[in-house]
Amino acid sequence: MTSLEKFNYVPSEHEAEKASNSYLMSLIAIMGGLPLPIINLIATVAFYLGNRKGTYFVRWHCIQALYSQLFLLPFNSVGFWWTISIIFTSETISSKYIAYIITIFIFNLIEFIGTIYSAITTRKGEHVEWYVIAGLTDLTCTHDAKNNN
Amino acid sequence: MRKIIIEFIISVAVLLGTWLILSQVDWMTLFRVKQATQSTGEKVGNLCWDLLKKSETEISADSVVSPIDSILTKICDKNQIDRSKIKLHLLVNEEINAFALPNNHLIVYSGLVEACKNEAELDGVICHELAHLEKNHVMNKLVKEVGLSVLLTMSSGNGNSEMIKRALKQLSSSAYDRKMETEADLTAVDYLIKAGIDPEPFANFLYRLSDETQNIPQQIYWISTHPESKKRAEEIIAHALTYKDFKATAIDSTRFAGLKEKLNRKL
Repeated sequence: MTSLEKFNYVPSEHEAEKASNSYLMSLIAIMGGLPLPIINLIATVAFYLGNRKGTYFVRWHCIQALYSQLFLLPFNSVGFWWTISIIFTSETISSKYIAYIITIFIFNLIEFIGTIYSAITTRKGEHVEWYVIAGLTDLTCTHDAKNNN
Repeated sequence: MRKIIIEFIISVAVLLGTWLILSQVDWMTLFRVKQATQSTGEKVGNLCWDLLKKSETEISADSVVSPIDSILTKICDKNQIDRSKIKLHLLVNEEINAFALPNNHLIVYSGLVEACKNEAELDGVICHELAHLEKNHVMNKLVKEVGLSVLLTMSSGNGNSEMIKRALKQLSSSAYDRKMETEADLTAVDYLIKAGIDPEPFANFLYRLSDETQNIPQQIYWISTHPESKKRAEEIIAHALTYKDFKATAIDSTRFAGLKEKLNRKL
């Protein structure tokens, strides 16, 4: 799911800390925002906006943290509204529903572990790339050579 | 870009595939969801009935209960519903009301029986409440109105009488949502038709009492808590007309008149 890759340059201690914080921000928001799937996304967006003029390394990891949240958002939202409909409407609990909740729980757990790993690794100044997400991040995060440190 | 799209599709496919595979497991049996829900329903229903029994007088005279019991048995038999699970209770109360409690308690007030002009009208109301029970509307409504945590507290024996009173009030004097009411009405028509009973008197009952509600609203609970009665009556007639070959059997008006007379004498 994740792999350690070489970055364009060696980030400074300050950059590594900020980049690591982008992952920590989503972790804290997950803990505070459950079961609302939107809270952690809002927190990550806010952190990205605060650092959008940061260095390439910081921006890159802010965007990766943001996209990792975005990927699961639609699936978490379906689970959330499905649960609401069971509680408040005539919709009943079924094996399909339980299977769906277990599925999104597994994927959220993988993402949670991946986020912790990314926060630790990035703090050491290493560059960690997520499957699918890293490619998307590369597409949208442009490297400004003049402002890379 | 192509690589990203392929990776994205693979990721989504893995997620949906996991769901599909996990869906093959019968989680409902594995987690005993049905038993847990049933057990909560049983306990909450019995608590509500115990509270109601203390404040109301139940009519147990066979000569009075028997005709209503016959109606219920006939409807259940013709609709493949297990009659033995339904607990019918006829209570002395001038309110025109009938309602269902969890654990298949069906409460009928004497005021309702007296307000019915014929047996078919009462059949309709009983079918409507039976539909609420069969479609699991009762527990769904309680979860929605009272909250699952309160119900679980009640069923665990830690609930206070205020909680039970609140649940009972929700079921006896407030309507289900529009979707559930319509479903109960249309299911009631299906039950009536299968039992060979004309649904028109049921529609007439709604229509007539909705007019009378304006004069004595506090007594006609069943109508005042079931809004848009005239519209519902029209929907009942429209649904009944979809049964082209239906022929109603004659209702036992003599027996019903006898029941009303006995109730009059008792009150």
